[in-house]
Amino acid sequence: MKTVSSFPLLSKSEFDEACGNIAKVFIQEFHGSNVWASADVVQRNGSQYLKIVKELSIPHIDPGNGCTNAEEEEIEDEDEEILEPPSNHGVTVEYDIVLSPSYQVPVLYFSIKDPLFRYPPTMDTLYRILIPPQFKAQAENVSVIGGITVTDHPVTNTPVFFIHPCQTASVLEASKAIDTLTSIDYLVLWIGAMGKCVGLDIPVALAQNLG
Amino acid sequence: MTSSRDVTSRLRQNVWNGSIPLEICLDKGDCRTYDDSDPYLIQFPRLSYLGLLVPKLHGFFSNNLIYPDVSPADVWLSYDGVPLKWHYPLGLLYDLYSGAEPSHPPDEDDNNEGRADGDSIPWKLTVHFSDYPVEHLVKLDAEGKHLHDLYIHSVKEADYLRCAGKTVMFLGKEDSGQLWESVKQHNFTLFNPINQKFLNPQGANLRHLPMKLYLPHASSGLTENEPTPGSLRVVQALVTPSLSSRQPQTIGTALNHIIPSLFPSRRSPLLAHAVLHGAVLPLSISVEELLRVASYLDGWLHIAVVMMG
Repeated sequence: MKTVSSFPLLSKSEFDEACGNIAKVFIQEFHGSNVWASADVVQRNGSQYLKIVKELSIPHIDPGNGCTNAEEEEIEDEDEEILEPPSNHGVTVEYDIVLSPSYQVPVLYFSIKDPLFRYPPTMDTLYRILIPPQFKAQAENVSVIGGITVTDHPVTNTPVFFIHPCQTASVLEASKAIDTLTSIDYLVLWIGAMGKCVGLDIPVALAQNLG
Repeated sequence: MTSSRDVTSRLRQNVWNGSIPLEICLDKGDCRTYDDSDPYLIQFPRLSYLGLLVPKLHGFFSNNLIYPDVSPADVWLSYDGVPLKWHYPLGLLYDLYSGAEPSHPPDEDDNNEGRADGDSIPWKLTVHFSDYPVEHLVKLDAEGKHLHDLYIHSVKEADYLRCAGKTVMFLGKEDSGQLWESVKQHNFTLFNPINQKFLNPQGANLRHLPMKLYLPHASSGLTENEPTPGSLRVVQALVTPSLSSRQPQTIGTALNHIIPSLFPSRRSPLLAHAVLHGAVLPLSISVEELLRVASYLDGWLHIAVVMMG
């Protein structure tokens, strides 16, 4: 496979190639494993992007409603220790990786899909549900990673969370450890650099299979 | 030379002064006296953002509300059932949704002389203070920070296209504060010096021209969600100031390149019109010249694509 021609930028064909390969390896080797629920290339209106779906796991308990449910939860915990609390069953986070035509780097758009619509795309949901506490200060400080806010998804045109892409190129420059990257190396590096603070990571086994 | 500069600055002024009369009524569901509230009337700049009106609307209607202590962050506007996006300038929303016939160049089609805005002036909008359509509309905060953030992000992206973000990078805190202030006050004297820096990056020609196309949504095969009222497809591609030859990029060449299915010809509109500031764009116009006189406040040409009737 060819190396990325103008790192830290990514061309459309390089992006399409990397997305296709990640989806293919995931479906062949990891389908049914619990790392991601799915990874698919979505084609819509002539554009193409990678959609990774994960079960929602809430990073910390909302301090607001500790008391009333505590007893109930304790009993449940004894019965089904490993299971998610049933209240969030079927709730997923969708991570859409879309190539920005302006910045020519991938951009992460993400949202929570909940049958009960409890987690709308608002800043409150972002900091209450999605951002691990250890990243909160970093994410709020716009200068570190370009900030995370709500904007319209470039393909669906409805509100979703996104990480401002204006810092992506310099973050990638700083994270790059080897000199020549294939398009897959690039996307693995990108997920590692941009995804972690919002709960998206690339499983080691999957990364090894891609390499 | 001087005269062409005069024309440019006069056009720029005309675009800046473009405005639309609005008649904003309170939604019956939020009104204490059912439908007895007075409408809010304002002549509002085409280039500006409706989100900047929220504090005024909140103050004006607070006496009529069932729940007067509602937060300004719960305010939203709609036209004909379509929630209006905060980060789209008013002129774009009007060109997309009002149904008003756009103006044609005078020599092109004499039959259009008698066109009148008729039913679409004043533009009758509805303001809501409850049932925020959070799945369709970005939720703003009471202090207007989110609106500012959306604006700045758009400014940065435009600058990245024009000159790899070099102007924004060297824009001081004072200048970027002044830029947002000029938008909030709709003040040309504050806005123009900064805009000139954006349009004339030091020691460089423009690399790409920031241009977005807004298409009425064709039904797609992949409708996982029910269709949103007034939903659009936003199309963007890299647009260079000139084609590989010494030929400048025109609206016709750009549209033909980006959406050939709607603009099969570079010279004549066959299926659709490109509409900016209420006017049908001649396909022969240079995109760079257009950008210099007619871009929106965030530096973009936001062009509505309207199908021919």
